Amino acid sequence: MTVPASPTRRKRSSLLCFRQQVPHSASLLAALLGAAVFLGGWQLLVELRVVAPVFLPPPLKVAQTFIHMSVDGSMLPNTLVSIRRVWLAFLISALLAVPLGILMSGYRIIGATFEPMIDFIRYLPVPALVPLAIIWFGVGETTKIFLLWLGTFFQLVLMVAADMKRIPNEYFETAYTLGARPRQTLLPVALPAMLPQLMDSMRISLGWCWTYVIIAEIVASDSGLGFVIWTARRFMKTDQVMAGVIMIGLIGLVTDQCLRLLHRKLFRYQ
Amino acid sequence: MEQLSSYLQFHDVTKFFGDVPVVQQPFNLAVPAGQFVVFLGPSGCGKTTLMRMIGGLDTPSSGEILLQGMPVGAPDIRRGMVFQSYSSFPWLTVRKNIEFGMRFRRDLSAAQKKERAEYFLKLVGLTDFAKSYPSRISGGMRQRVAIARTLAADPDVLLMDEPFGALDANLREDLQFELRKIQKNSGKTTIFVTHDVEEAVFLADRIIVFGPRPARVIADVDVISLIGSERNENVRDSERFFHLRTEILHLLRGRDAKKSAAA
Repeated sequence: MTVPASPTRRKRSSLLCFRQQVPHSASLLAALLGAAVFLGGWQLLVELRVVAPVFLPPPLKVAQTFIHMSVDGSMLPNTLVSIRRVWLAFLISALLAVPLGILMSGYRIIGATFEPMIDFIRYLPVPALVPLAIIWFGVGETTKIFLLWLGTFFQLVLMVAADMKRIPNEYFETAYTLGARPRQTLLPVALPAMLPQLMDSMRISLGWCWTYVIIAEIVASDSGLGFVIWTARRFMKTDQVMAGVIMIGLIGLVTDQCLRLLHRKLFRYQ
Repeated sequence: MEQLSSYLQFHDVTKFFGDVPVVQQPFNLAVPAGQFVVFLGPSGCGKTTLMRMIGGLDTPSSGEILLQGMPVGAPDIRRGMVFQSYSSFPWLTVRKNIEFGMRFRRDLSAAQKKERAEYFLKLVGLTDFAKSYPSRISGGMRQRVAIARTLAADPDVLLMDEPFGALDANLREDLQFELRKIQKNSGKTTIFVTHDVEEAVFLADRIIVFGPRPARVIADVDVISLIGSERNENVRDSERFFHLRTEILHLLRGRDAKKSAAA
């Protein structure tokens, strides 16, 4: 006779089960535990003087500095400056990339015209173009926006074109046989059909904007989070450097979660 | 004379994709108004391509297709199509999907469109699901949405590309019954593509049986003369139905060709 395994035993073993679901509470606990071990190890490393605090400030000190900088006004105004730059450049990129990407995928000849060029440009690393940007636009806002735009626009165009290409042909053909001309399918069929994918593409390119804004601010700026980090480095204030980095991470996390939430709300029909 | 009485006509149509023949022997067919024609044949035999050419979604390499005596061109609202997959728009509710069928009709006022949408919702039994999105309803309901949407556009010809191919057997039979009823009530000339013999026999007034690619007609079966025009579950279980089904199956297998029901 076979003896059924006791429930507790089953439950324990099922936590490490290949490609199986685990309870939500367990995932949450695991995430917290992972973070705690990481932070604890980090704190210990410094406490035991394995690494000098000037190179690696302990997490508690970084947290302290983060709060301090948030309150004393050295962080938040610069954060807002960076956020503004990122969103401005991102919106310009998206407004240009979405129509162009759709046209490139919709009309072969437009795609043939732009695709090789864009494929080339998108592999140019943004930092390599910083000198040119400064020569052209000086060290003002235009340079930063230009660099961010450069880093995202060309990537986004190709992603939009790919999103459009992925729309099943049946949707268009259905619309044609209901009396739509090809051009008339763009707004009522193509756009809604690709929108969920499109939003993901935009979310990803918004993330790149954050990479490029820091580069732009480190190289040529007197404001923004990149500037905060770079200035702190000059005085070996590693805790401030880390506080700045954490701020970027937090903004990324919050933005991403907000956009995901929006995605879920908008595309509940899926 | 025959030219005048036929509503939809294939005249020496061939189709090649590059060098690949899909329809090599010139294809000729005359369909009277209101007839329910099923194109039956194995996968890849070219039956779908022939139907798509009626819709203007593919163009013949030679020959022409006439609708009411006029050559058909680019796709338009006179030839409505229902697909097997991606048949309804997932971002629109059931009602909006049906209303989409009238989006490009200028002859209807907004109020008339609303009223017609209501009518077709009821016709396909989806009034209670008007506000649901396609992902929330069954596959069979989604195909009903597509049929209602196409009917709302009021095409001259209804084209259906294996619309029930992805559904399970019971659901298929229900939908076949409903479709046959709807088609007879609306009087729409219908071309229905399938590889399912039983489905073909149950639905059709007339079956064009194709051999393997490139498309070759092996029989033109007058179903009405063999099993009548009334179709219900009793007919499906009848001797005549079974007999015809078996005969066509044999035809497709290449046996019993002489004893075929070819007209």
